[in-house]
Amino acid sequence: MVIDLDRCNGCGNCSLACAVENNISPAPKKANDRTGITWMRVYKVENDLPFPENRAVYLPLTCQQCDHHTPCESVCPQKAVEYDTESGIVAQIPVRCLGCRYCMTACPYHARYFNWWDPEWPKGMETTLNPDVSTRMRGVVEKCNFCHGRLQAARAKAAVEGRREITDAEYVPACAEACPTKAIHFGNLADTNSEFSKLAKDHNSFRLLEPLGTEPKVYFHSKQSWVHNKINAKIAAVKEEVHG
Amino acid sequence: MFPWIYGFTWTPGNIIFLGIFFSVVAIIGATVLLSFRRALHSIKTNSMESIRWESEFHDLPIAARTCRHEFTGEFKRRTCDNGFDCRSCVTHGNLMKNKATNSDLIEHPIHAFGFTIPIDRLYHRGHTWVKSNATGTYTIGLDDFASRLVGTPEGIELPKPGTRLQVNGSAWSFKKGHTDVRILAPLDGEVVAASDGSEGWYLKVRPLTPSVDTKHLLRDQEIVPWFLREFERLQMKLADPKIGLTLADGGTPVQDFPKAYPDKNWDGIFGEMFLEA
Amino acid sequence: MDKLFIARGVSRTSLKNFIMWIIPWILILIVGVYAVFLCLYEGLNQTNMDNRFAFGLWIYLDLTVIALGAGAFFTGFLLYILKRKELKAVINSAVVIGFICYSGAVGVLMVDVGQPLRAWFTFWHPNVHSMLTEVTFCITCYLGVLAIEYIPIILKNRRIKQISSMLVFEHELHKLVVVLAAVGTFLSFFHQGSLGGLYGVLVGRPFAFRPALGIWPTTFFLFILSAAAVGPCFILLTTTLVSKISRKQLVKPEVLQLLGKISGNLLIVYILLKTIDTIIWINSTSPSLGFTAASFYKYSGFGTWIMFAEIVLCGLIPALMLQNKKLRARTSWLVVAALMACIGIVLNRFVMTIQTLALPTLPFDQFMSYVPSWQEVATFMAVLAYGMLVYSISYRYLTLFPQERELQSM
Repeated sequence: MVIDLDRCNGCGNCSLACAVENNISPAPKKANDRTGITWMRVYKVENDLPFPENRAVYLPLTCQQCDHHTPCESVCPQKAVEYDTESGIVAQIPVRCLGCRYCMTACPYHARYFNWWDPEWPKGMETTLNPDVSTRMRGVVEKCNFCHGRLQAARAKAAVEGRREITDAEYVPACAEACPTKAIHFGNLADTNSEFSKLAKDHNSFRLLEPLGTEPKVYFHSKQSWVHNKINAKIAAVKEEVHG
Repeated sequence: MFPWIYGFTWTPGNIIFLGIFFSVVAIIGATVLLSFRRALHSIKTNSMESIRWESEFHDLPIAARTCRHEFTGEFKRRTCDNGFDCRSCVTHGNLMKNKATNSDLIEHPIHAFGFTIPIDRLYHRGHTWVKSNATGTYTIGLDDFASRLVGTPEGIELPKPGTRLQVNGSAWSFKKGHTDVRILAPLDGEVVAASDGSEGWYLKVRPLTPSVDTKHLLRDQEIVPWFLREFERLQMKLADPKIGLTLADGGTPVQDFPKAYPDKNWDGIFGEMFLEA
Repeated sequence: MDKLFIARGVSRTSLKNFIMWIIPWILILIVGVYAVFLCLYEGLNQTNMDNRFAFGLWIYLDLTVIALGAGAFFTGFLLYILKRKELKAVINSAVVIGFICYSGAVGVLMVDVGQPLRAWFTFWHPNVHSMLTEVTFCITCYLGVLAIEYIPIILKNRRIKQISSMLVFEHELHKLVVVLAAVGTFLSFFHQGSLGGLYGVLVGRPFAFRPALGIWPTTFFLFILSAAAVGPCFILLTTTLVSKISRKQLVKPEVLQLLGKISGNLLIVYILLKTIDTIIWINSTSPSLGFTAASFYKYSGFGTWIMFAEIVLCGLIPALMLQNKKLRARTSWLVVAALMACIGIVLNRFVMTIQTLALPTLPFDQFMSYVPSWQEVATFMAVLAYGMLVYSISYRYLTLFPQERELQSM
């Protein structure tokens, strides 16, 4: 996934689409921004300068789908987190999750959410539930899985048609589909010749917290240098060395 | 956890981790099971009483475990490590080899420190005496020291005739005030008759084997020094901890110690003097 | 009334007084049980934990009591493996305290997880790479060992031991206590370490992350060492506290001094290694993850004073105090030093759990704060009350201090 920070306008449609697709229940009355479940969450990043130099970008944050040394997978005591080597998706198994929340402390991106309440839908709203995605129960952890259900559906459809490969167009997560400014790009990173991969490897693209070695699959792209100064850790590290 | 469970892989990490876990569980389980089995074995082979005594003896204070050969001056300081069972003690055996047996039977009891101490019988460290009868049975009674210590008990629990006694096992027990105490059996044998002490004895016992080993019982020159020691121990316990031991001013000891000193810790004192931890 | 259940030669307060003493603890326990019920019935929304503070008061206090309860395994190791016979005077009390600490911690953990009924999944599908798996396995086994070590103490109660079969079983168990002590030491070594490893492996939390020695981060070894160092201190504190409350001398002064000396020596080693580890972390580990160590301490209330307090004030100073023989000879100074050492460990566990989670990892994130809810506090008070009840009943009816009888007559 490559997210163009210069295009995101902070509308939050991705967050909403994600909730609809993945059967995230409406937050209970007592929930706040730290106890609610938002697989996709939009942060505001500002350059902390006074007017008229003040700038902001909006940063949609999901699970970064770290590579095979995922911080969360190695710490789960009962293998409720599974790294799928084929798709690169870090999957959560809610029925096996104990709810110990160790993975949540391990995740540096705060991309994991706990069901502090029993998920409840107001009467009548259960008809809007997506039948392809299972709901979770109280006391387990959940997170973005790049709309894994859609991947399965795309593969199934391709299998029916006798194909093994699926095209980028056939598998698009809900957030990418819903984004009005097309800020979220989704594709196959392994296909190094595609436009998508080239965008990810662009010199203006970076990943969050790279020095940690998590090797996430979500890239952020921005042409504004202040954005890089603020959140591109590699630039910041270089600056530290230079300035001491 | 087990190889047949979905998701199990034979990785070195899994093998080492689960291997250690199962070994630990096995060790813990084996320890408990072994103790259980040994306990059952002990119960079956009727060695419960001897184990109970071994455990009890271990918990007694050092002052209560003095070796009898300290009384006679053969050792300056020695603590018994064999549960007062001189029958199986090597040191005792060696010491007795060189001793001449005393054939003078003193008929009259010795009066010392206000106590009446008959010398014509054998004494057990638990303050019972043993006298053989012409009929082949043995009479067991409580010595004067212990009688005064117990005084008039509130209750007494005697064994029924036919009960088997074991050396250092439980013979009978007294109930006194808020406390109780069991009296140690000085002999192996079967109870033939029991009495509440009003006739001067408590039990008449028939030994199980024709020859009775009484090596563990005190006799002759040992008795009086032992009595002195026990009396000293009692006085230490009754003394005011701030003042310590004072000179006795003569006079006879009372007939019922707990009655005379009602505010002392008789529970503890009984335990020390009658060897119950 | 219950005199015949109380050991010979020792005095205990009247039954009426005893009941007056345990009633407040029972009340606290009841309130705590209600809080636990709320958390289990309504869900963990009853706590003030959230997605940023996934671990809160419970995990923090769990770590603390397990570190303090390390006295059980360490005293057992010193007594049965290293044959320091003087510690016979406190081993029973240590085992009971250890049992209380571990059973309390496991009880709280069952409330802390979202799905307690799935606790056995960790055993069924263990992830051997996770520190938490190691913790779960070891603590479960060790709780079993502690229960087995507690049983002989109960069987030696004055009334119970009159049942010959009980005494015989106790006798046989006691013969094999060395095996249990060895297994207990082995298990404790691993779970105390893994509790440290829990945070040391978190590459996503550069404040807590430490480099690995073998397959374990340095915090693994530091936690073992700190637990072993503070275990004897806690035994010292509890023994003097019980002595004070019961107004009796329960152990000979040499025993307390020995505990202090062992603690002091271990503390010195621990502080030395911790200092080296911290220096390496400041200069190498943290910067390699893209964070300067100083950046963690710029938040108000959580400045470098915490590090100073943990390592110097409540670490080096009590360690040096306990080295001094003259100081160890005075019980009041022993207690002060032991208390400071315990506070140091309490601080260390706090830093590893709460401070780690409060610190932001993303550059556009903030420092978070967290205050536990009354249900969380009440649950932990229930554990404290449970501990007081178990210990009080054990102290009254069982021989926790074998030297008491001897000392009473002096």
